[in-house]
Amino acid sequence: MIETTTTPAAPALPTRNAPVTTNSPRSRIFALAHHEYRAAVRSRILLALLGIIVTVTAVSVYIASVDYRSKLADYEMYKAAAEAGGVARIAPSLLAPLSLLRGSLEYLEIIGAVIAIALGYLTVSRERSNRTLAMIRSRPVSSGEQMAGSLLGALAVIGTLVAVTAMVGIVCVGSIGNDWINAAQGFKLLLAYLGAVVYMGVFYGVGVIATAHTKVTANGLMIALGVWLLIVLILPQLGDTLDADNQIPGGLFSALGLDRAGETKILEHFTLYEKTRIGIEELSFAKHFERFSFAMTDVQDKYRGFSLGQLLAEKRNDIGWLIAYPIALMWGLRRSFRNQPTLPPTS
Amino acid sequence: MIATIARHQILSLRRQRTFLWLLATFLVMTALAGVLGWSSHRTIVGVYDESVKLLATQGLPAPENPFRLKPTLSLLSNMVVYIPLIGALLAIVLGHISLADDETDGIGRLVFSRRINRTTYIVGKAVGAAVVLFSILAVSLAVSTLALVIVNRALPSFGEFGRLAGFYGLSLLYLMVFAFVGMATVLLTHRRSLALLTATGVWLVITFAVPQVTSGLRPTQSLNPITDPVSTSQAFFRATSKARPYSVVEQYKQISGQVLETSTVKGSLTGLLSIAALGLLLAIAIVLLVQRHDYSTGTSSD
Repeated sequence: MIETTTTPAAPALPTRNAPVTTNSPRSRIFALAHHEYRAAVRSRILLALLGIIVTVTAVSVYIASVDYRSKLADYEMYKAAAEAGGVARIAPSLLAPLSLLRGSLEYLEIIGAVIAIALGYLTVSRERSNRTLAMIRSRPVSSGEQMAGSLLGALAVIGTLVAVTAMVGIVCVGSIGNDWINAAQGFKLLLAYLGAVVYMGVFYGVGVIATAHTKVTANGLMIALGVWLLIVLILPQLGDTLDADNQIPGGLFSALGLDRAGETKILEHFTLYEKTRIGIEELSFAKHFERFSFAMTDVQDKYRGFSLGQLLAEKRNDIGWLIAYPIALMWGLRRSFRNQPTLPPTS
Repeated sequence: MIATIARHQILSLRRQRTFLWLLATFLVMTALAGVLGWSSHRTIVGVYDESVKLLATQGLPAPENPFRLKPTLSLLSNMVVYIPLIGALLAIVLGHISLADDETDGIGRLVFSRRINRTTYIVGKAVGAAVVLFSILAVSLAVSTLALVIVNRALPSFGEFGRLAGFYGLSLLYLMVFAFVGMATVLLTHRRSLALLTATGVWLVITFAVPQVTSGLRPTQSLNPITDPVSTSQAFFRATSKARPYSVVEQYKQISGQVLETSTVKGSLTGLLSIAALGLLLAIAIVLLVQRHDYSTGTSSD
């Protein structure tokens, strides 16, 4: 493999003497956003990661859809037989087509976050190694505009990626699972994928901040990957491991012959343990995204009968975290764009 | 000469702050694995006791204690997850730093201005990486043993210690695979970041994507030391499960589970050979790649 990143030209920013209409902050932001998007889609490593995520999404949804198709066929057979037998009240299907996208959302949670970090890393390293940052700074562009432009471009890249994986998922569910999603389900799915864009946007911010604060940008990438490891893999793993029910395949409470009520009653004796476990999970931004997106896609049985309003009310804590993190990172992003060195270190 | 290169490698790694942070994270996680094992074990026993009382009030018989048959080493079952997650990333960074630093600092250019055989150089680097990983895992073994002594209030038996040593030996083999991945990507690319991202991509595929295809394991299932057995009722899995012996992360987990007696699923000799074969293939690849690598230009520090 040879070098796989290209050297895109600096953005065509309006000059000081350009007409007022093209020299507005909005036009500068859009010029920077366009530059960010173009540079990202030219990066072969990003395209390779995109290829990986789309492939594994297709495989995961295919696997789930094949299983779903056979269950749906069984239900249709039961329904037809019941109707033929004159049964007045037929039990509704418990199948949820949106839940087939669980694997797709998990891949966005894990691989999507790495892609976003890579995108954030490239935003800083590209301008620094090409020595174009000094040139951008010589134009009338504030650090806020630079941040807004880069963020907008990155969100457009992330949005494209999420849209592609969503389309792959929806088409697989419809064509293989034989169940096309309706408008209401589509809206819930839209919210879940909107959450994915926000989630990946946060990791984009982590990538930018870590890279901008290091002299050798590859070290920034390592630090960002370390943060990812902690937030996406370690903290949720700790929470999962401590979950009493996860200790035995099939579930501990099920093995002990206890139903949901029995489980709740037993756990009343372990409130401190449960609070600690939940507290560890709460620290992970990835877990908040996971809980929100799983609720929106009917992954958890307990939310399947909820209306959209009830779902949003139930998930208000996770929605709050999904809003709070980006706001906090915006401040860090702006500082990073303002304070980063404009030239690469001399080696 | 191999020993000199390996010694230089170990010395320069000791000065790497990022590497030291990752190393500290790994050792903390080793200690945490013991604490978590103890904590969850205590809670489960408590849950069982409370369940017996609750079922007795309902006039139902007490179920069998699911933990009674659990072996002593099950306390460390989380290590089977941490090695492929944190350990493998640490090994990638180790392999990456081993070669990338020499390129960006210009040491590679200086070294190859002398009459030094490239095979000797890369073997020295691989030995250096192996010694570092061996030392890390030896410390991890000591921490694990200490955790067992504290929790069980008894020294592990000779057999248990042998199993623990066997697990860490397997882990060394597994981690060397990823150290070689880190080295190979440096030799294949001209940018440090690109090398690191490519190696991370390979790790993601091996750790999360391949088990999904061969066993239908969702990514988050890989974070739990205990996973439900996968059914091969689907035609898709009947075909792909044939490749399961070559899914190195699954084989590593299965063999580890068997060695630590934490899993009923048995690992196979084919699985062990798969890990060794992948390591050997990558070792041969880096020996070949280093022969044609251009050290005159160096790698970008970015």
